[in-house]
Amino acid sequence: MALINVSGLSFAYESTPVLQNVNLSVAPGEKLAILGGNGSGKSTLAQWIAGWLPRGSYAANAGEVTVEGQPWAELDAATRAGAVQFVGQVPMQQLSGFSFTVRDEIAFGPGNLALPEAKIRARVDAAVEICNLGHLLDRDPFSLSGGEQQRLSIAAALAMQPRALVLDEPTGNFDPESREALLAQLEKLPGALAIVWCDVTLGAPLSVAERVLLLDGGRIAYDGDVAGLLTHPRTAEIFGLPAVAQTALMLRERGLWPAEAPISMDVGRVASALRPMLESAR
Amino acid sequence: MTGLLTLDAVRFGYDPERPVLEDISFAVQHGEVVAVVGRNGAGKSTMLRLLNGLLRPDAGRLTIAGRDSADLKVSEIAAHIGTVFQAPEQQIFNATVRSEIGFGPAQQGLAPREQAARIDEAVARTGLEGVLDTHPLDLDAAMRRFVAVASVIACRPDLMLLDEAQRGLDATRRATLGGIIADWKASGRAIVLVCHDMDFVAAHADRVLGLAAGRLAVDAPVRDFFADAAATRAVSVEQPGIVALAQALGQPVALSASELVTGLAPRLKGGA
Amino acid sequence: MAVARPQGADHALLYVPGRSFLHRLNPLTKLTLVLWCAVAAFALPPEGTIPLALLSILIGSFAGAGRVFARRLALTLLPLSVALFVVHGMLVDHAGARASLLGLDLSREGLAYMVRILGRIAALLSGSLLFVCTTHPSRLLKALDAHRFSPGAAYVIASPLLLLEPFTQRAKAIREAQMARGLDLEGSFMTRVKAFPALLMPLVTLALADIDHRAQVLDGRGFRAMPHRTVLDAPADSRQQRAVRWAVLVSIPVLIAGGVLWHL
Ligand SMILES: Nc1ncnc2c1ncn2[C@@H]1O[C@H](COP(=O)(O)OP(=O)(O)OP(=O)(O)O)[C@@H](O)[C@H]1O
Ligand SMILES: [Mg+2]
Repeated sequence: MALINVSGLSFAYESTPVLQNVNLSVAPGEKLAILGGNGSGKSTLAQWIAGWLPRGSYAANAGEVTVEGQPWAELDAATRAGAVQFVGQVPMQQLSGFSFTVRDEIAFGPGNLALPEAKIRARVDAAVEICNLGHLLDRDPFSLSGGEQQRLSIAAALAMQPRALVLDEPTGNFDPESREALLAQLEKLPGALAIVWCDVTLGAPLSVAERVLLLDGGRIAYDGDVAGLLTHPRTAEIFGLPAVAQTALMLRERGLWPAEAPISMDVGRVASALRPMLESAR
Repeated sequence: MTGLLTLDAVRFGYDPERPVLEDISFAVQHGEVVAVVGRNGAGKSTMLRLLNGLLRPDAGRLTIAGRDSADLKVSEIAAHIGTVFQAPEQQIFNATVRSEIGFGPAQQGLAPREQAARIDEAVARTGLEGVLDTHPLDLDAAMRRFVAVASVIACRPDLMLLDEAQRGLDATRRATLGGIIADWKASGRAIVLVCHDMDFVAAHADRVLGLAAGRLAVDAPVRDFFADAAATRAVSVEQPGIVALAQALGQPVALSASELVTGLAPRLKGGA
Repeated sequence: MAVARPQGADHALLYVPGRSFLHRLNPLTKLTLVLWCAVAAFALPPEGTIPLALLSILIGSFAGAGRVFARRLALTLLPLSVALFVVHGMLVDHAGARASLLGLDLSREGLAYMVRILGRIAALLSGSLLFVCTTHPSRLLKALDAHRFSPGAAYVIASPLLLLEPFTQRAKAIREAQMARGLDLEGSFMTRVKAFPALLMPLVTLALADIDHRAQVLDGRGFRAMPHRTVLDAPADSRQQRAVRWAVLVSIPVLIAGGVLWHL
């Protein structure tokens, strides 16, 4: 059974429609990227998937979201928290406000589930390792740098050991090194954790995702593998092509690109496509 | 050229016993785009807060438009320096986009017509026309960023500080921000931008300041910086793809696709 | 300079870091004592409240938060006593006997009234000030959780201290954003007073939005999912302290009864 299922979801904050007839499902352990331009509805969809919507006066115009076949509203708090964790876009707004140290902030969620202390400590240690927070454990979460705070919000979600992690632009404030480190650590996580990674860039999410959705104007414009996304007609327009891929395209326009080689954004591939074409060194 | 901003042996620590920044000296000239790079927690945002006066050096001197910044209030520095903070959510405080953008010009005591003109200009530049009466925090994250950018543009400072302003922008919005940076520079004003995205640095910066272990480990023109593997490693950044590609093909550092294509074409079979 | 120094983990708005015996006391023990002080402040006559206040001031200055505590207390109590003195000693026309102090002709009844009020306030204030100066809000929360208070109840008890923090942080962010765009908040007292309305409106709306958002974060992390929470590093407790707490709690009704009788 699908872990999360979104069927026929349409939603508007006020009158402008944000999501239109969105259908998707996330299987247990699946790594899914939801990509789209600014204002395409990613963050809103992420909140629906994670159960942060509906809330207050916001309700679906049509459709629903279920977790293991049950609508969000019918699940009790502990089940919800253990099923899906959401890491929103603004790190500071992810803090509980209950904790005065990084350690306590990570322990906050597991503590709410009334787990035994030893288990909580083990979870904190694991999350700290994944997000490289070892040197910050006794710091005040509110006084961290932007990137440190973002790492903390991911650690706090991981410590809940959910079955799905919904991430909204989770590495926006990361330095390249921390980003690579996180990606490597996510690879190592037990395969049962599903990841839904929403973003506006093609880089980091694509190195995690097995499957990609392209969200365009609140509709799903593409649902398939990574290679298919790169050749989708809207991709270059929305995300911009990295300079490496642009180089390949410009060379092709001038007839200087090997006919059989695919256009790529990968430095190694483009370089090896071009090497045979170089006039032999003088 | 006159120095717009000069730092001389500046030191700062949230806990003065443990400095975050030490012995920082550099100057920013009119018409310059300077990128500040370094790992998370390296002190980039801290440095911007020293520049705009929200934090004050524990030691050393900061000179803004020829005056020692110790003699200037934050509100006086604001006439020269405008800041887009790392989290616009923390910086926005007005109930509509219009009033948020208009706050700075109103503080400058401009005539109402001039204030309105400033708002119009900033709005046109950032593409916020349709949302002037919306609450800024009801906008998506990218638009909120542009509200923060517009509120700086409307103040017309000489120096704009951008803290990770490019993050989470799609191609269209990146182009808008790139255009704003280019125009700002062309009009002789300066930008200091903090940025983890080396493609963006390669495309928009003239010069790179690299922070590592609390010190200024790098101060170099962008081309030299990317050509120097030791320098990029010292501040833990990766080379932009285009630089790596140029090097893999034995070309000198190229900062854009067209530059690389121009250099490469004569070397390719059939492309004399 | 109006530039606030940011802080490490030990920081909390009213808390004064330290390792005194009061700091180390279990927060619940301190909380019961504060409760007792509050009841005593109303139940006891000035002969009781004033020594009580003096006792907390003494403990606070020497074994608690030291100078900071004394200064805060003085800053609140002194203006208050002057005001009370002026109002009740001189302005309000009390009939009856007069007293003369420093050449002033004063009403005896007014003075007695003033002493009674002041004694109450001093006892109440010094006790609670001592509590917040020596108890980090996170310790209080942890103590409540460790004693299996329901998360909701713990939140209600600790929320005045917990909400203060984000609230002041918001205020600081707004002030910084305003200064960075040219509003003078470092000038004379008057310029700051004039700028206050510009702070108030956004502070209220944004702080409310923050609270709303925080409620969601709490839900998401399973807050209140279970009848009680587990915390790491809960404050130490002891059998003696537990005994003290019970004794104090039991004495409260006695105190109230005594107070009622005394007033009859
Ligand atoms: N208010 C504060 N109080 C104490 N320490 C702080 C405070 N703000 C930042 N720090 C610490 O100072 C160091 C520098 O922080 P800063 O925000 O300048 O980093 P940064 O280079 O901008 O990082 P990032 O890339 O994550 O945004 C970090 O170690 C951070 O944890
Ligand atoms: Mg920063």
